[in-house]
Amino acid sequence: MNRPAGEDAIRRWAAARHLPDAHLRRWLALADEDRAALLDVAEPLRLRTGQFMTAFELLEEIVVRERATIVANGANATIATIATILARREIRRILDGTGSAPGRARELLDALRTIRFPRLKRTAQRLAEEIAALGLPHGVSVVLPKELGSDEVKVEISAHGGVELERLIDAVGQARAGLIRIADLIGGGDSIDDEV
Amino acid sequence: MKFELDAVHIEEGSRTSALARRVVGGLSPGVAVNYVADGREASRPIAGVADSFAAGKRRMVIMRRRSPFLMACPAGSSEFACCGYLVLTLASNCPMDCGYCFLQDYLADNPGFQVYANYSDAFDELERLRRNAPARGFRVGTGELADSLAFDSLTGISRDLVEYFAGRDDLTLELKTKTDEIENLLAADPKGRTLVSWTLSPERVFRSTEHRTAPPAARIEAARRVLEAGYRVAFHFDPIIAYAGAERDYIELMGNLFDVIAPERIAFVSLGGMRMTPALRAAARRRFPDDPMLLGEEVLGPDGRYRAFTPLRLRLYSALSDRIRKADAKLQTYLCMESPSVHRRVFGEPAQPPAALGARLAAN
Repeated sequence: MNRPAGEDAIRRWAAARHLPDAHLRRWLALADEDRAALLDVAEPLRLRTGQFMTAFELLEEIVVRERATIVANGANATIATIATILARREIRRILDGTGSAPGRARELLDALRTIRFPRLKRTAQRLAEEIAALGLPHGVSVVLPKELGSDEVKVEISAHGGVELERLIDAVGQARAGLIRIADLIGGGDSIDDEV
Repeated sequence: MKFELDAVHIEEGSRTSALARRVVGGLSPGVAVNYVADGREASRPIAGVADSFAAGKRRMVIMRRRSPFLMACPAGSSEFACCGYLVLTLASNCPMDCGYCFLQDYLADNPGFQVYANYSDAFDELERLRRNAPARGFRVGTGELADSLAFDSLTGISRDLVEYFAGRDDLTLELKTKTDEIENLLAADPKGRTLVSWTLSPERVFRSTEHRTAPPAARIEAARRVLEAGYRVAFHFDPIIAYAGAERDYIELMGNLFDVIAPERIAFVSLGGMRMTPALRAAARRRFPDDPMLLGEEVLGPDGRYRAFTPLRLRLYSALSDRIRKADAKLQTYLCMESPSVHRRVFGEPAQPPAALGARLAAN
Protein backbone atom coordinates (compact mmCIF):
# COMPACT_ATOMS: atom_id res chain seq x y z
CA MET A 1 0.00 0.00 0.00
CA ASN A 2 1.34 3.43 -0.91
CA ARG A 3 1.82 5.90 1.89
CA PRO A 4 0.47 9.43 1.38
CA ALA A 5 3.01 11.90 0.10
CA GLY A 6 5.34 13.21 2.77
CA GLU A 7 4.61 10.52 5.33
CA ASP A 8 8.09 9.05 5.11
CA ALA A 9 9.67 12.46 5.57
CA ILE A 10 7.47 13.14 8.58
CA ARG A 11 8.33 9.80 10.14
CA ARG A 12 12.03 10.45 9.58
CA TRP A 13 11.84 13.86 11.21
CA ALA A 14 9.80 12.49 14.12
CA ALA A 15 12.22 9.62 14.68
CA ALA A 16 15.23 11.91 14.61
CA ARG A 17 13.59 14.23 17.15
CA HIS A 18 12.10 11.46 19.32
CA LEU A 19 8.67 12.97 18.88
CA PRO A 20 6.16 11.17 21.14
CA ASP A 21 3.95 8.69 19.29
CA ALA A 22 0.77 10.51 20.20
CA HIS A 23 2.01 13.65 18.47
CA LEU A 24 3.18 11.73 15.43
CA ARG A 25 -0.24 10.10 15.12
CA ARG A 26 -1.95 13.50 15.35
CA TRP A 27 0.42 14.91 12.77
CA LEU A 28 -0.20 12.07 10.33
CA ALA A 29 -3.95 12.36 10.86
CA LEU A 30 -3.98 15.94 9.54
CA ALA A 31 -5.11 16.87 6.06
CA ASP A 32 -2.33 16.61 3.46
CA GLU A 33 -1.82 20.40 3.22
CA ASP A 34 -1.64 20.80 6.98
CA ARG A 35 0.87 18.08 7.64
CA ALA A 36 3.04 19.21 4.77
CA ALA A 37 2.91 22.79 6.05
CA LEU A 38 4.06 21.64 9.48
CA LEU A 39 7.00 19.77 8.00
CA ASP A 40 7.86 22.85 5.94
CA VAL A 41 8.24 24.73 9.21
CA ALA A 42 9.88 22.02 11.30
CA GLU A 43 12.71 21.23 8.91
CA PRO A 44 14.11 24.62 7.89
CA LEU A 45 13.72 26.14 11.38
CA ARG A 46 15.23 23.00 12.90
CA LEU A 47 12.58 23.04 15.63
CA ARG A 48 13.46 21.19 18.78
CA THR A 49 10.95 18.57 19.91
CA GLY A 50 9.43 20.79 22.57
CA GLN A 51 9.21 23.72 20.19
CA PHE A 52 7.48 21.59 17.59
CA MET A 53 4.95 20.28 20.13
CA THR A 54 4.23 23.82 21.34
CA ALA A 55 3.82 25.14 17.80
CA PHE A 56 1.58 22.23 16.86
CA GLU A 57 -0.62 22.76 19.92
CA LEU A 58 -0.85 26.51 19.36
CA LEU A 59 -1.79 25.97 15.71
CA GLU A 60 -4.50 23.45 16.59
CA GLU A 61 -5.95 25.82 19.18
CA ILE A 62 -5.87 28.78 16.81
CA VAL A 63 -7.78 26.74 14.23
CA VAL A 64 -10.54 25.88 16.73
CA ARG A 65 -10.76 29.47 18.00
CA GLU A 66 -10.88 31.06 14.55
CA ARG A 67 -13.44 28.61 13.21
CA ALA A 68 -15.68 29.40 16.18
CA THR A 69 -15.31 33.13 15.54
CA ILE A 70 -16.31 32.68 11.92
CA VAL A 71 -19.35 30.61 12.89
CA ALA A 72 -20.38 33.04 15.64
CA ASN A 73 -20.10 36.09 13.41
CA GLY A 74 -21.53 34.41 10.34
CA ALA A 75 -18.54 35.82 8.53
CA ASN A 76 -17.85 34.79 4.98
CA ALA A 77 -14.17 34.16 5.60
CA THR A 78 -11.73 31.43 4.72
CA ILE A 79 -11.94 28.61 7.23
CA ALA A 80 -8.68 28.54 9.17
CA THR A 81 -6.42 25.54 8.81
CA ILE A 82 -2.87 24.96 9.96
CA ALA A 83 -1.71 25.53 6.39
CA THR A 84 -3.58 28.83 5.99
CA ILE A 85 -2.28 30.11 9.33
CA LEU A 86 1.30 29.26 8.40
CA ALA A 87 0.78 31.01 5.07
CA ARG A 88 -0.07 34.35 6.72
CA ARG A 89 2.21 37.24 6.00
CA GLU A 90 3.47 37.66 9.59
CA ILE A 91 4.41 33.98 9.69
CA ARG A 92 5.87 33.84 6.18
CA ARG A 93 8.06 36.81 7.07
CA ILE A 94 9.65 34.70 9.80
CA LEU A 95 9.89 31.52 7.77
CA ASP A 96 11.42 33.31 4.80
CA GLY A 97 13.70 35.48 6.94
CA THR A 98 17.45 35.38 6.92
CA GLY A 99 18.12 35.12 10.65
CA SER A 100 19.43 32.02 12.39
CA ALA A 101 17.15 29.01 12.53
CA PRO A 102 16.95 29.02 16.37
CA GLY A 103 16.16 32.75 16.36
CA ARG A 104 13.44 32.32 13.79
CA ALA A 105 12.05 29.34 15.73
CA ARG A 106 11.66 31.57 18.78
CA GLU A 107 10.08 34.28 16.65
CA LEU A 108 7.63 31.78 15.22
CA LEU A 109 6.46 30.69 18.66
CA ASP A 110 6.08 34.32 19.74
CA ALA A 111 4.04 35.08 16.63
CA LEU A 112 1.81 32.06 17.19
CA ARG A 113 1.28 33.04 20.84
CA THR A 114 0.27 36.52 19.70
CA ILE A 115 -2.38 35.01 17.43
CA ARG A 116 -3.50 32.52 20.10
CA PHE A 117 -3.64 35.10 22.95
CA PRO A 118 -4.51 38.35 21.16
CA ARG A 119 -6.02 40.28 24.07
CA LEU A 120 -3.32 39.21 26.49
CA LYS A 121 -0.64 40.37 24.05
CA ARG A 122 -2.37 43.72 23.47
CA THR A 123 -2.81 44.27 27.19
CA ALA A 124 0.78 43.36 27.97
CA GLN A 125 1.97 45.68 25.20
CA ARG A 126 -0.15 48.52 26.55
CA LEU A 127 1.19 48.03 30.06
CA ALA A 128 4.75 47.91 28.77
CA GLU A 129 4.18 51.23 27.00
CA GLU A 130 2.70 52.77 30.15
CA ILE A 131 5.71 51.65 32.18
CA ALA A 132 8.16 52.94 29.57
CA ALA A 133 6.35 56.29 29.55
CA LEU A 134 7.08 56.72 33.27
CA GLY A 135 10.75 57.20 32.44
CA LEU A 136 11.88 55.53 35.65
CA PRO A 137 15.62 55.70 36.26
CA HIS A 138 17.95 52.73 36.18
CA GLY A 139 17.61 50.98 39.54
CA VAL A 140 13.80 51.15 39.62
CA SER A 141 11.76 48.52 37.87
CA VAL A 142 8.10 47.68 37.68
CA VAL A 143 7.58 43.93 37.71
CA LEU A 144 4.29 42.66 36.36
CA PRO A 145 2.95 39.20 37.20
CA LYS A 146 3.93 36.49 34.75
CA GLU A 147 1.44 36.48 31.86
CA LEU A 148 -0.69 38.86 33.94
CA GLY A 149 -1.76 35.86 35.99
CA SER A 150 -2.42 37.84 39.16
CA ASP A 151 -3.16 41.41 40.23
CA GLU A 152 0.13 41.92 42.05
CA VAL A 153 2.49 44.68 40.92
CA LYS A 154 5.98 44.94 42.33
CA VAL A 155 8.10 48.07 42.26
CA GLU A 156 11.71 47.09 42.84
CA ILE A 157 14.41 49.53 43.87
CA SER A 158 18.01 48.50 43.65
CA ALA A 159 20.48 51.04 45.09
CA HIS A 160 24.07 51.26 46.22
CA GLY A 161 24.22 53.65 49.14
CA GLY A 162 21.91 56.08 50.81
CA VAL A 163 22.25 58.89 48.30
CA GLU A 164 21.28 56.72 45.40
CA LEU A 165 18.44 55.14 47.35
CA GLU A 166 17.04 58.57 48.22
CA ARG A 167 17.18 59.62 44.56
CA LEU A 168 15.39 56.47 43.43
CA ILE A 169 12.73 56.74 46.14
CA ASP A 170 12.10 60.31 45.00
CA ALA A 171 11.75 59.07 41.42
CA VAL A 172 9.20 56.49 42.52
CA GLY A 173 7.33 59.18 44.41
CA GLN A 174 7.23 61.40 41.34
CA ALA A 175 5.87 58.49 39.31
CA ARG A 176 3.20 57.80 41.93
CA ALA A 177 0.16 58.59 39.78
CA GLY A 178 1.48 56.59 36.85
CA LEU A 179 2.28 53.59 39.03
CA ILE A 180 -1.20 53.65 40.56
CA ARG A 181 -2.65 53.79 37.08
CA ILE A 182 -0.66 50.69 36.08
CA ALA A 183 -1.87 48.83 39.16
CA ASP A 184 -5.44 49.81 38.26
CA LEU A 185 -5.00 48.66 34.68
CA ILE A 186 -4.00 45.23 35.91
CA GLY A 187 -7.22 45.19 37.87
CA GLY A 188 -9.22 45.71 34.70
CA GLY A 189 -9.52 49.44 35.20
CA ASP A 190 -9.89 51.77 32.23
CA SER A 191 -10.51 50.17 28.89
CA ILE A 192 -8.04 47.33 28.50
CA ASP A 193 -9.70 46.23 25.33
CA ASP A 194 -12.64 47.49 23.31
CA GLU A 195 -14.09 44.05 22.90
CA VAL A 196 -14.30 41.78 25.94
CA MET B 1 -35.97 17.26 30.79
CA LYS B 2 -35.23 13.60 31.34
CA PHE B 3 -31.92 11.80 31.30
CA GLU B 4 -31.16 8.31 30.09
CA LEU B 5 -29.40 5.46 31.81
CA ASP B 6 -27.81 2.32 30.44
CA ALA B 7 -27.93 0.41 33.69
CA VAL B 8 -28.56 0.66 37.41
CA HIS B 9 -26.33 -1.23 39.84
CA ILE B 10 -27.73 -1.69 43.32
CA GLU B 11 -25.52 -2.68 46.20
CA GLU B 12 -26.92 -5.76 47.93
CA GLY B 13 -27.07 -3.93 51.25
CA SER B 14 -29.24 -1.24 49.68
CA ARG B 15 -31.55 -3.61 47.80
CA THR B 16 -34.52 -2.97 50.08
CA SER B 17 -33.90 0.75 50.59
CA ALA B 18 -36.63 3.23 49.78
CA LEU B 19 -34.36 4.86 47.23
CA ALA B 20 -33.72 1.59 45.36
CA ARG B 21 -37.42 0.81 45.31
CA ARG B 22 -38.29 4.25 43.94
CA VAL B 23 -35.60 4.09 41.27
CA VAL B 24 -36.41 0.55 40.12
CA GLY B 25 -40.09 1.44 40.04
CA GLY B 26 -39.50 4.50 37.90
CA LEU B 27 -37.00 3.19 35.37
CA SER B 28 -37.69 3.23 31.67
CA PRO B 29 -38.17 -0.23 30.12
CA GLY B 30 -34.93 -1.70 28.89
CA VAL B 31 -32.65 -0.29 31.58
CA ALA B 32 -30.76 -3.21 33.11
CA VAL B 33 -30.83 -3.57 36.90
CA ASN B 34 -27.96 -5.47 38.49
CA TYR B 35 -27.24 -6.27 42.11
CA VAL B 36 -23.63 -5.99 43.24
CA ALA B 37 -21.75 -6.74 46.44
CA ASP B 38 -19.87 -3.43 46.56
CA GLY B 39 -21.03 -0.28 44.78
CA ARG B 40 -17.52 1.13 44.87
CA GLU B 41 -16.36 -1.58 42.48
CA ALA B 42 -19.28 -0.90 40.17
CA SER B 43 -18.27 2.78 40.09
CA ARG B 44 -14.79 2.19 38.72
CA PRO B 45 -13.92 3.07 35.12
CA ILE B 46 -14.83 0.38 32.63
CA ALA B 47 -11.75 -1.04 30.95
CA GLY B 48 -11.53 -0.50 27.22
CA VAL B 49 -14.10 2.29 27.11
CA ALA B 50 -12.69 5.36 25.37
CA ASP B 51 -14.48 7.90 27.58
CA SER B 52 -15.11 6.14 30.88
CA PHE B 53 -16.19 9.38 32.55
CA ALA B 54 -19.02 9.78 30.03
CA ALA B 55 -19.91 6.10 30.39
CA GLY B 56 -20.08 6.54 34.16
CA LYS B 57 -22.78 9.15 33.77
CA ARG B 58 -25.09 6.54 32.28
CA ARG B 59 -24.44 3.96 35.01
CA MET B 60 -26.28 4.72 38.24
CA VAL B 61 -24.93 3.01 41.33
CA ILE B 62 -27.22 2.93 44.37
CA MET B 63 -25.06 2.27 47.39
CA ARG B 64 -24.32 3.13 50.97
CA ARG B 65 -22.08 6.12 51.58
CA ARG B 66 -19.18 5.17 53.83
CA SER B 67 -17.85 8.69 54.43
CA PRO B 68 -19.52 11.61 56.15
CA PHE B 69 -22.16 13.37 54.07
CA LEU B 70 -21.44 16.83 55.42
CA MET B 71 -18.22 18.70 54.74
CA ALA B 72 -16.90 22.18 54.13
CA CYS B 73 -17.02 23.22 50.48
CA PRO B 74 -13.99 21.59 48.81
CA ALA B 75 -13.38 24.78 46.83
CA GLY B 76 -12.76 26.64 50.07
CA SER B 77 -9.26 27.76 50.92
CA SER B 78 -7.55 30.30 53.10
CA GLU B 79 -6.24 31.98 49.92
CA PHE B 80 -9.79 32.76 48.73
CA ALA B 81 -12.57 34.97 50.07
CA CYS B 82 -15.11 32.18 50.67
CA CYS B 83 -18.85 32.09 51.29
CA GLY B 84 -19.08 29.61 54.19
CA TYR B 85 -20.92 27.03 52.10
CA LEU B 86 -21.37 23.54 53.54
CA VAL B 87 -21.71 20.61 51.20
CA LEU B 88 -23.96 17.61 51.66
CA THR B 89 -22.82 14.86 49.29
CA LEU B 90 -25.86 12.77 48.44
CA ALA B 91 -24.67 11.77 44.97
CA SER B 92 -21.50 11.80 42.92
CA ASN B 93 -21.39 12.60 39.18
CA CYS B 94 -24.08 14.06 37.00
CA PRO B 95 -25.94 13.07 33.83
CA MET B 96 -25.13 16.39 32.20
CA ASP B 97 -21.70 16.91 30.67
CA CYS B 98 -20.29 20.42 30.86
CA GLY B 99 -16.94 20.82 29.17
CA TYR B 100 -15.49 22.82 32.05
CA CYS B 101 -16.75 20.59 34.87
CA PHE B 102 -14.18 19.76 37.55
CA LEU B 103 -15.69 16.31 38.00
CA GLN B 104 -13.92 15.24 34.78
CA ASP B 105 -10.72 15.16 36.77
CA TYR B 106 -12.08 14.76 40.30
CA LEU B 107 -14.02 11.60 39.46
CA ALA B 108 -11.71 10.17 36.81
CA ASP B 109 -11.06 7.04 38.89
CA ASN B 110 -14.57 6.80 40.20
CA PRO B 111 -16.96 7.88 37.43
CA GLY B 112 -20.03 5.75 38.20
CA PHE B 113 -23.02 7.93 39.04
CA GLN B 114 -23.38 7.10 42.72
CA VAL B 115 -26.55 7.90 44.64
CA TYR B 116 -26.46 7.12 48.33
CA ALA B 117 -29.28 4.99 49.68
CA ASN B 118 -28.52 5.90 53.30
CA TYR B 119 -28.92 9.62 52.62
CA SER B 120 -31.20 10.07 55.61
CA ASP B 121 -28.08 9.52 57.79
CA ALA B 122 -27.10 13.01 56.61
CA PHE B 123 -29.89 14.39 58.75
CA ASP B 124 -28.18 13.00 61.87
CA GLU B 125 -24.99 14.84 60.86
CA LEU B 126 -26.95 18.03 60.40
CA GLU B 127 -28.50 17.63 63.84
CA ARG B 128 -25.03 17.29 65.34
CA LEU B 129 -23.96 20.45 63.52
CA ARG B 130 -26.92 22.32 64.94
CA ARG B 131 -26.21 21.11 68.46
CA ASN B 132 -22.55 22.11 68.21
CA ALA B 133 -23.25 25.62 66.92
CA PRO B 134 -26.66 26.54 68.26
CA ALA B 135 -26.44 30.27 67.60
CA ARG B 136 -25.40 30.05 63.97
CA GLY B 137 -27.21 29.80 60.65
CA PHE B 138 -25.81 27.54 57.92
CA ARG B 139 -26.30 27.29 54.19
CA VAL B 140 -26.03 23.67 53.15
CA GLY B 141 -26.03 22.58 49.52
CA THR B 142 -26.18 19.31 47.62
CA GLY B 143 -24.93 20.59 44.29
CA GLU B 144 -21.17 20.23 44.56
CA LEU B 145 -20.36 16.70 43.38
CA ALA B 146 -23.68 16.31 41.59
CA ASP B 147 -26.50 18.40 40.25
CA SER B 148 -29.09 18.72 43.01
CA LEU B 149 -32.10 18.00 40.83
CA ALA B 150 -30.93 15.86 37.92
CA PHE B 151 -32.81 12.55 38.19
CA ASP B 152 -34.91 13.91 41.04
CA SER B 153 -38.01 12.69 39.22
CA LEU B 154 -36.53 9.20 39.64
CA THR B 155 -34.92 9.42 43.08
CA GLY B 156 -37.37 11.77 44.80
CA ILE B 157 -34.67 12.85 47.24
CA SER B 158 -35.61 16.53 47.10
CA ARG B 159 -38.94 15.85 48.79
CA ASP B 160 -37.26 14.43 51.90
CA LEU B 161 -34.69 17.22 51.95
CA VAL B 162 -37.21 20.02 51.64
CA GLU B 163 -39.32 18.47 54.35
CA TYR B 164 -36.35 18.13 56.74
CA PHE B 165 -35.12 21.68 56.24
CA ALA B 166 -38.64 23.13 56.43
CA GLY B 167 -38.62 22.49 60.16
CA ARG B 168 -35.25 24.07 60.95
CA ASP B 169 -34.94 27.82 61.09
CA ASP B 170 -31.17 27.74 61.49
CA LEU B 171 -30.53 25.81 58.28
CA THR B 172 -31.00 26.77 54.66
CA LEU B 173 -30.91 24.14 51.97
CA GLU B 174 -29.46 25.19 48.62
CA LEU B 175 -30.39 23.02 45.67
CA LYS B 176 -28.06 23.94 42.83
CA THR B 177 -28.95 22.87 39.30
CA LYS B 178 -28.74 23.38 35.55
CA THR B 179 -31.96 21.48 34.94
CA ASP B 180 -35.63 22.40 34.91
CA GLU B 181 -36.53 19.26 36.85
CA ILE B 182 -38.67 20.98 39.49
CA GLU B 183 -41.88 18.96 39.60
CA ASN B 184 -41.16 17.40 43.01
CA LEU B 185 -40.34 20.83 44.43
CA LEU B 186 -43.64 22.26 43.29
CA ALA B 187 -45.45 19.61 45.28
CA ALA B 188 -43.61 20.41 48.56
CA ASP B 189 -43.83 23.28 51.04
CA PRO B 190 -40.35 24.64 51.81
CA LYS B 191 -41.56 27.02 54.55
CA GLY B 192 -38.88 29.45 53.41
CA ARG B 193 -35.98 27.15 54.24
CA THR B 194 -35.05 25.94 50.75
CA LEU B 195 -33.30 28.03 48.19
CA VAL B 196 -33.01 26.83 44.61
CA SER B 197 -30.12 28.19 42.61
CA TRP B 198 -29.31 27.99 38.95
CA THR B 199 -26.02 28.29 37.19
CA LEU B 200 -26.60 30.63 34.27
CA SER B 201 -24.53 30.98 31.13
CA PRO B 202 -25.12 32.81 27.87
CA GLU B 203 -26.63 30.92 24.96
CA ARG B 204 -23.22 30.59 23.28
CA VAL B 205 -21.72 28.84 26.29
CA PHE B 206 -24.79 26.65 26.70
CA ARG B 207 -24.65 25.53 23.07
CA SER B 208 -20.93 25.00 22.96
CA THR B 209 -20.16 23.55 26.34
CA GLU B 210 -23.10 22.70 28.62
CA HIS B 211 -24.17 19.42 27.07
CA ARG B 212 -27.58 18.01 28.03
CA THR B 213 -28.40 20.89 30.37
CA ALA B 214 -31.61 22.90 30.17
CA PRO B 215 -31.37 26.03 27.98
CA PRO B 216 -30.78 29.27 29.91
CA ALA B 217 -34.31 30.52 29.27
CA ALA B 218 -35.75 27.24 30.61
CA ARG B 219 -33.65 27.58 33.77
CA ILE B 220 -34.92 31.11 34.33
CA GLU B 221 -38.50 30.01 33.75
CA ALA B 222 -38.05 27.13 36.21
CA ALA B 223 -36.73 29.64 38.74
CA ARG B 224 -39.78 31.82 38.25
CA ARG B 225 -42.02 28.84 38.92
CA VAL B 226 -40.30 27.71 42.12
CA LEU B 227 -40.24 31.30 43.35
CA GLU B 228 -44.00 31.43 42.91
CA ALA B 229 -44.20 28.13 44.81
CA GLY B 230 -42.56 29.65 47.88
CA TYR B 231 -38.89 28.90 47.35
CA ARG B 232 -36.09 31.41 47.47
CA VAL B 233 -33.95 31.61 44.35
CA ALA B 234 -30.34 32.51 43.61
CA PHE B 235 -28.10 32.50 40.57
CA HIS B 236 -24.50 31.55 39.92
CA PHE B 237 -22.79 33.18 36.97
CA ASP B 238 -20.06 30.65 37.35
CA PRO B 239 -18.01 29.78 35.45
CA ILE B 240 -17.83 33.03 33.55
CA ILE B 241 -16.00 32.32 30.31
CA ALA B 242 -14.12 35.29 28.89
CA TYR B 243 -14.60 34.69 25.18
CA ALA B 244 -14.69 37.64 22.78
CA GLY B 245 -18.12 39.20 23.22
CA ALA B 246 -18.62 37.71 26.69
CA GLU B 247 -19.26 41.03 28.42
CA ARG B 248 -22.13 41.86 26.10
CA ASP B 249 -23.61 38.35 26.32
CA TYR B 250 -23.44 38.07 30.13
CA ILE B 251 -24.97 41.51 30.57
CA GLU B 252 -27.73 40.61 28.16
CA LEU B 253 -28.30 37.39 30.10
CA MET B 254 -28.57 39.34 33.35
CA GLY B 255 -31.08 41.64 31.67
CA ASN B 256 -33.12 38.62 30.58
CA LEU B 257 -33.03 37.28 34.13
CA PHE B 258 -34.10 40.56 35.73
CA ASP B 259 -36.91 40.90 33.18
CA VAL B 260 -38.41 37.64 34.45
CA ILE B 261 -37.42 37.76 38.12
CA ALA B 262 -37.25 41.09 39.89
CA PRO B 263 -33.78 41.49 41.41
CA GLU B 264 -35.20 42.26 44.85
CA ARG B 265 -36.69 38.75 44.87
CA ILE B 266 -33.30 37.12 44.28
CA ALA B 267 -31.51 35.92 47.42
CA PHE B 268 -28.01 36.36 46.01
CA VAL B 269 -25.84 36.16 42.95
CA SER B 270 -22.36 34.66 42.71
CA LEU B 271 -19.73 35.35 40.11
CA GLY B 272 -16.78 33.12 39.33
CA GLY B 273 -14.38 32.97 36.42
CA MET B 274 -13.62 29.67 34.75
CA ARG B 275 -10.67 28.07 36.53
CA MET B 276 -8.99 24.80 35.81
CA THR B 277 -6.12 22.89 37.31
CA PRO B 278 -3.66 21.64 34.68
CA ALA B 279 -5.06 18.12 35.11
CA LEU B 280 -8.63 19.27 34.60
CA ARG B 281 -7.64 21.38 31.61
CA ALA B 282 -5.97 18.38 30.01
CA ALA B 283 -8.97 16.14 30.67
CA ALA B 284 -11.44 18.72 29.35
CA ARG B 285 -9.45 19.36 26.19
CA ARG B 286 -9.04 15.65 25.59
CA ARG B 287 -12.79 15.14 25.83
CA PHE B 288 -13.85 18.28 23.97
CA PRO B 289 -10.98 19.22 21.63
CA ASP B 290 -13.18 21.32 19.35
CA ASP B 291 -14.85 23.43 22.02
CA PRO B 292 -13.57 27.00 21.64
CA MET B 293 -14.87 27.89 25.12
CA LEU B 294 -12.07 25.75 26.55
CA LEU B 295 -9.49 27.62 24.49
CA GLY B 296 -9.75 31.11 25.89
CA GLU B 297 -6.92 33.34 27.04
CA GLU B 298 -6.27 31.47 30.27
CA VAL B 299 -2.92 31.62 32.00
CA LEU B 300 -1.52 29.78 34.99
CA GLY B 301 -2.04 31.80 38.15
CA PRO B 302 -0.20 31.70 41.47
CA ASP B 303 -2.77 29.26 42.88
CA GLY B 304 -1.89 26.69 40.23
CA ARG B 305 -5.07 27.13 38.20
CA TYR B 306 -5.62 28.41 34.71
CA ARG B 307 -7.89 31.46 34.55
CA ALA B 308 -8.51 34.26 32.08
CA PHE B 309 -5.61 36.69 32.50
CA THR B 310 -6.27 39.06 35.36
CA PRO B 311 -7.18 42.40 33.68
CA LEU B 312 -9.65 40.60 31.42
CA ARG B 313 -11.24 38.63 34.23
CA LEU B 314 -11.48 41.57 36.58
CA ARG B 315 -12.95 43.79 33.90
CA LEU B 316 -15.70 41.22 33.35
CA TYR B 317 -16.37 40.96 37.08
CA SER B 318 -16.59 44.72 37.39
CA ALA B 319 -18.93 45.08 34.42
CA LEU B 320 -21.26 42.39 35.76
CA SER B 321 -21.09 43.73 39.29
CA ASP B 322 -22.03 47.20 37.96
CA ARG B 323 -24.97 45.69 36.09
CA ILE B 324 -26.18 43.96 39.27
CA ARG B 325 -25.81 47.16 41.31
CA LYS B 326 -27.74 49.06 38.66
CA ALA B 327 -30.56 46.52 38.94
CA ASP B 328 -30.59 46.47 42.73
CA ALA B 329 -27.85 47.97 44.87
CA LYS B 330 -28.86 45.70 47.77
CA LEU B 331 -28.64 42.42 45.88
CA GLN B 332 -26.04 40.35 47.74
CA THR B 333 -23.21 39.41 45.37
CA TYR B 334 -20.04 37.47 46.03
CA LEU B 335 -17.09 36.03 44.12
CA CYS B 336 -16.25 32.33 44.19
CA MET B 337 -12.64 31.16 44.46
CA GLU B 338 -11.08 34.58 44.15
CA SER B 339 -8.59 36.24 46.45
CA PRO B 340 -9.51 38.96 48.96
CA SER B 341 -7.61 41.48 46.81
CA VAL B 342 -9.72 40.66 43.75
CA HIS B 343 -12.83 40.96 45.90
CA ARG B 344 -11.72 44.39 47.09
CA ARG B 345 -11.00 45.56 43.55
CA VAL B 346 -14.37 44.42 42.22
CA PHE B 347 -16.62 45.50 45.07
CA GLY B 348 -14.53 48.30 46.54
CA GLU B 349 -14.67 46.83 50.04
CA PRO B 350 -13.02 43.98 51.94
CA ALA B 351 -14.53 40.52 51.74
CA GLN B 352 -16.58 39.39 54.72
CA PRO B 353 -15.29 36.44 56.75
CA PRO B 354 -16.69 33.15 55.39
CA ALA B 355 -18.87 32.43 58.41
CA ALA B 356 -20.42 35.90 58.32
CA LEU B 357 -21.08 35.78 54.59
CA GLY B 358 -22.43 32.23 54.90
CA ALA B 359 -24.88 33.28 57.58
CA ARG B 360 -25.92 36.30 55.54
CA LEU B 361 -26.53 34.24 52.41
CA ALA B 362 -28.52 31.74 54.45
CA ALA B 363 -30.67 34.51 55.85
CA ASN B 364 -31.38 36.43 52.62
